[in-house]
Amino acid sequence: MNKTSILFAAIITFGLMAFTNHSGGIYKTNTGNINFFSHTPVEDITADNHKVKTAFDAETGKLQFSVLIKDFEFPKALMQEHFNENYMESTKYPKSTFTGTIDKMSAVNLAKDGTYKSSITGKLTMKDVTKEVSTMATFVVKGGIVNAKASFTVNPVDYHIAIPKTVAAKISNEIKINVDADYTHSH
Amino acid sequence: MTRPIIILIIVLALGAVFYGYNTYNKPHTNVGKSEAAETLLATEIFVAFDTNEQAAMAIYSDKVIQVEGQLLSKDLSNEKEPQILLKGNGDEGFVRCGFKPTELSKVLALTDSSTVKIKGVCMGCNGSEELDLLGSKDVVLSNCIIIK
Repeated sequence: MNKTSILFAAIITFGLMAFTNHSGGIYKTNTGNINFFSHTPVEDITADNHKVKTAFDAETGKLQFSVLIKDFEFPKALMQEHFNENYMESTKYPKSTFTGTIDKMSAVNLAKDGTYKSSITGKLTMKDVTKEVSTMATFVVKGGIVNAKASFTVNPVDYHIAIPKTVAAKISNEIKINVDADYTHSH
Repeated sequence: MTRPIIILIIVLALGAVFYGYNTYNKPHTNVGKSEAAETLLATEIFVAFDTNEQAAMAIYSDKVIQVEGQLLSKDLSNEKEPQILLKGNGDEGFVRCGFKPTELSKVLALTDSSTVKIKGVCMGCNGSEELDLLGSKDVVLSNCIIIK
């Protein structure tokens, strides 16, 4: 093998290694957004959390979330107090977690800017109650950042969140959860 | 019904309406005007949560806490809430402090590796050993302000 061939082979090898490192591995963020929204004819309730920890494995599609319940901020302090103390008991159950899979991970090309879709399935845990959840997610790859958006609904009753009859008309039994996270490759 | 009683009922009703309105619209905790319930090092609050999360939640959560620690980095990846990381326990854990966007200029003025004093509301500790992809655990303070 002459010098030119060796040099060419080395360039190809290092190029492939760089490509593999960039598209594989763990993508994560500690500043993901989760918003939830409850709509009833009586009242709309919304809250936001901007410190969501989430990561996915680009090889296997394994996906994880951890969110602090107390860190949801409501427009009104009283709503936030009732949410934490009466409904979520967030001192006793401080976190909600999701562990699941990006079902079509191979269809999301992390090395190429573009928009990709995949279903997500997994287990959502709140107040020590775990339920299966599935939804569609949109992944937008741009300049090395992977933005993922997904929405799904949960019924408070499924997670043993007791709503007193006096305020039942104000809280929907279909709470919409909106997830929006910018993942970057974790070195 | 005599006049004084009618006036008393009206005053009581107005008082109840006023109380209800104020309770419904009470503001969020003003961290700047609140005395810190606890003052400690960032490493100390991280160890407290790492050792016994439930006990630490009972002591610190929902309270205005003042922490002092080494600024490891600024995390400005979410424009809705600029954040900084204080040293907690090596690479295994940090104290993550979130600020209102209005505090961004003060956050930007901080120097990496310097010692900073922060006051904020303690929300708990995010992450866990079971969630292996997430890496470090973070003790979280929100609505923070910079003391020094």
